[in-house]
Amino acid sequence: MPVMDSSNTDLRIRTSMPAFASPVDIHQAPRALIEIENLDFHYGPHKVLHEISLQIPERQVTAFIGPSGCGKSTLLRCLNRMNDLIDGARVGAGRISIRGIDIHRSDVDVIELRKRLGMVFQKSNPFPKSIYENVAYGLRIQGVRDRSRLDEAVERSLQGAGLWDEVKDRLHTSGLGLSGGQQQRLCIARTIAVEPEIILMDEPCSALDPIATAKIEELIKELRSKFTIVIVTHNMQQAARCSDLTAFFYLGRLVEFSPTRTIFMNPVNPQTEAYVSGRFG
Amino acid sequence: MPPEKINSVAAFPVTFRPGRYAGLTGNQVVRGFFGGNAIVSVVVLGLITLFLLREGHGFFGQNRRNLEIYRAAGLEFVDILKRQEEGFGSLNRTLFEIRLAAGREKEPGSPMATAAELEAFDAYASELGDAAGPLRELVGELVETASAIKTKLVMNEDRLAERQHLLATGRQSEAGSIRIETIDSEAELRPLLESRARHSAISGSLAKSLVELSERMPSMSAPELQVLLGEFGELLRDYVASFPGIERQLAEWRHDREVSIFSAITAFLFGREWLTASFWQDWYGVLPLVTGSFLISLIALGLAVPLGVGAAVYVNQIARPSERSAIKPCIEFISAIPSVVLGFFGIAVLGEALRKVSHIAWLEWIPGFPIAERLNALTAGCLLGLIAVPIIFSLAEDALQNVPKSFKEASLALGASRIQTVVRIILPAGISGIISAVLLGLGRVIGETMVVLLCAGNRIAIPDFSAGPGVMTQPVHTMTGIIAQEMGEVVQGGIHYRALFAVGILLFCLSLMINLTAQRILGRYRLLSS
Repeated sequence: MPVMDSSNTDLRIRTSMPAFASPVDIHQAPRALIEIENLDFHYGPHKVLHEISLQIPERQVTAFIGPSGCGKSTLLRCLNRMNDLIDGARVGAGRISIRGIDIHRSDVDVIELRKRLGMVFQKSNPFPKSIYENVAYGLRIQGVRDRSRLDEAVERSLQGAGLWDEVKDRLHTSGLGLSGGQQQRLCIARTIAVEPEIILMDEPCSALDPIATAKIEELIKELRSKFTIVIVTHNMQQAARCSDLTAFFYLGRLVEFSPTRTIFMNPVNPQTEAYVSGRFG
Repeated sequence: MPPEKINSVAAFPVTFRPGRYAGLTGNQVVRGFFGGNAIVSVVVLGLITLFLLREGHGFFGQNRRNLEIYRAAGLEFVDILKRQEEGFGSLNRTLFEIRLAAGREKEPGSPMATAAELEAFDAYASELGDAAGPLRELVGELVETASAIKTKLVMNEDRLAERQHLLATGRQSEAGSIRIETIDSEAELRPLLESRARHSAISGSLAKSLVELSERMPSMSAPELQVLLGEFGELLRDYVASFPGIERQLAEWRHDREVSIFSAITAFLFGREWLTASFWQDWYGVLPLVTGSFLISLIALGLAVPLGVGAAVYVNQIARPSERSAIKPCIEFISAIPSVVLGFFGIAVLGEALRKVSHIAWLEWIPGFPIAERLNALTAGCLLGLIAVPIIFSLAEDALQNVPKSFKEASLALGASRIQTVVRIILPAGISGIISAVLLGLGRVIGETMVVLLCAGNRIAIPDFSAGPGVMTQPVHTMTGIIAQEMGEVVQGGIHYRALFAVGILLFCLSLMINLTAQRILGRYRLLSS
């Protein structure tokens, strides 16, 4: 099925809330890129995810929302197997497949997997290197030495992250000298430099001020034309503003997964309604 | 003050100060206790520094006097001649080595040189040896003259010191009975100075006969020997060419030229000889000890840095928690081994084992092998390396621990392998912490005494660096070792005693510098990571 451009759809539900991003045609949903089936996940003796089933479509922004400790970040980190770094973390049952491949199979090359799934973290974490080297790092570790190719990738990535104009004159100064919002955009540039298919964002704006947050949200909207984005957020307005689909988690269970509009305007589950309307969480 | 005001104050619930004991409140006593503890350690450090300086500072004055006597007694003058004689001695040795080479058999049954050639060579050698007879005789005479003057000067010096001591303790009459000879240096030194003319004649005839000898070198049929002889001829001509310089030195020598305090200091810091209790002249040059200390430290760090940093990287970045909890205490336990036990192990096991290994034929290509001495810089360096490993390991591990985890996550999430992450991100981010760990390890190694005293071989000489890396297998002595070894045998307050303190001050300054540098680097690193 071709990737659809949701802005062309006739089935958009007119709403008085212009804050919503592009709604999804639920009848003609793009094919699922990531399929999560009955996933159970454990940290040592604690089961933190219960029977999660979820299908994340290609070139859409999918938001995970829910109160702290509901397992949304854990699920995100399952997708690129960052949980492998934590001792005692394991998948109990179920599976995650990306393009039909079970990523938890023992013969999956985790390094290859992580090249395909970029990740942006909650706290911006540029390396203590220059801006240029930060962006070029992903390519360098893949063995790219060609200077012109690196230059080109750095420029393209920084432009993609909306940072080029601000830093083009100081590419060789430390990445740690940038402001918080710029650092986070540098991290996004670093991620897109290796051209992943999927970008995972773990509360990318939680440490930023409103203006920097707005810039990142704008960026997310631009990036969705090229990448599949999964974003964990605490901020419901953010989910409403920039996601196509929203999954609401509570106590390690997926409560509701629908187009963002539905979750916010017409949730099926009373728990979802209570959460999105601010009655708990 | 109106009474109602007092009432209003009383209504405000304030507590009154607690009672005072000896004019101090309880808080002040507690504060004083902890503050006192801190002050004691600072004061102790200050006292140690003061003591070192007090005992050591007199050395330079005494060394200056030592050098003054050396000059005034004419020892310096005689040493110029002695060097000329030694130069001849080394020529003779070279010739002897050629003789040994000539006597060796190239293949069984075919010697390098024929019997006739050897006979001619021996005749030549003995002729050459005899040529320096008059020079040797002159030096022998002058050595005795100079020694006699020195004895007089030193005795006078001792009497002077004794009299001053008696005067200081108030025993005037005893002090008065001490007779101080006045020594007429000019008169005493006259025989020495007058010998110049004789030397000039001896030197002239020696030069003439040597030039004549160099023109009729024995010829050898073997080309290897001919090459050696050619080199010998070169040496011979160089030696003769140095004669005018010697004559000039002798002519310019003055017994009353002042010895500056500066030269007393440089004689200590850059002196190439540490020679004590000698009948001729004592030298307190610290260079052989400094090179020994640094050579051993270099070997130790060469071993400890890869081991310590490598282990730290493994434990901090790669090991599973169970491995980590097994390896860490083991490495840290090394520092619990008393250094005398390690030294004992070095003598009994390591030194002998290294020597045995070095005698294996197919290992001969390794520089310095086969090892002649069981106790040498390599043995001591290996053990010191072991001592430095836990320090470098612990501090480097701390440094890696302080690298934010988010760097590692970001790198791994970009698809870097663990090794790439360690090499490209973690190590560069923690490098200043690692450098300071290495410096602190160096400080520990430089200051270590027991192991070097037991295992370094204790030969006081600048190791022969022309041996390349093989220099590592030579016995050396160290700054710490010499203090431990000689402190028990010296007269308190004497020049040797003070010289050892001067070495102590030098060691103290070096350690202080290393520690301060390490702390500065560490401080910069903390600034960066916070």
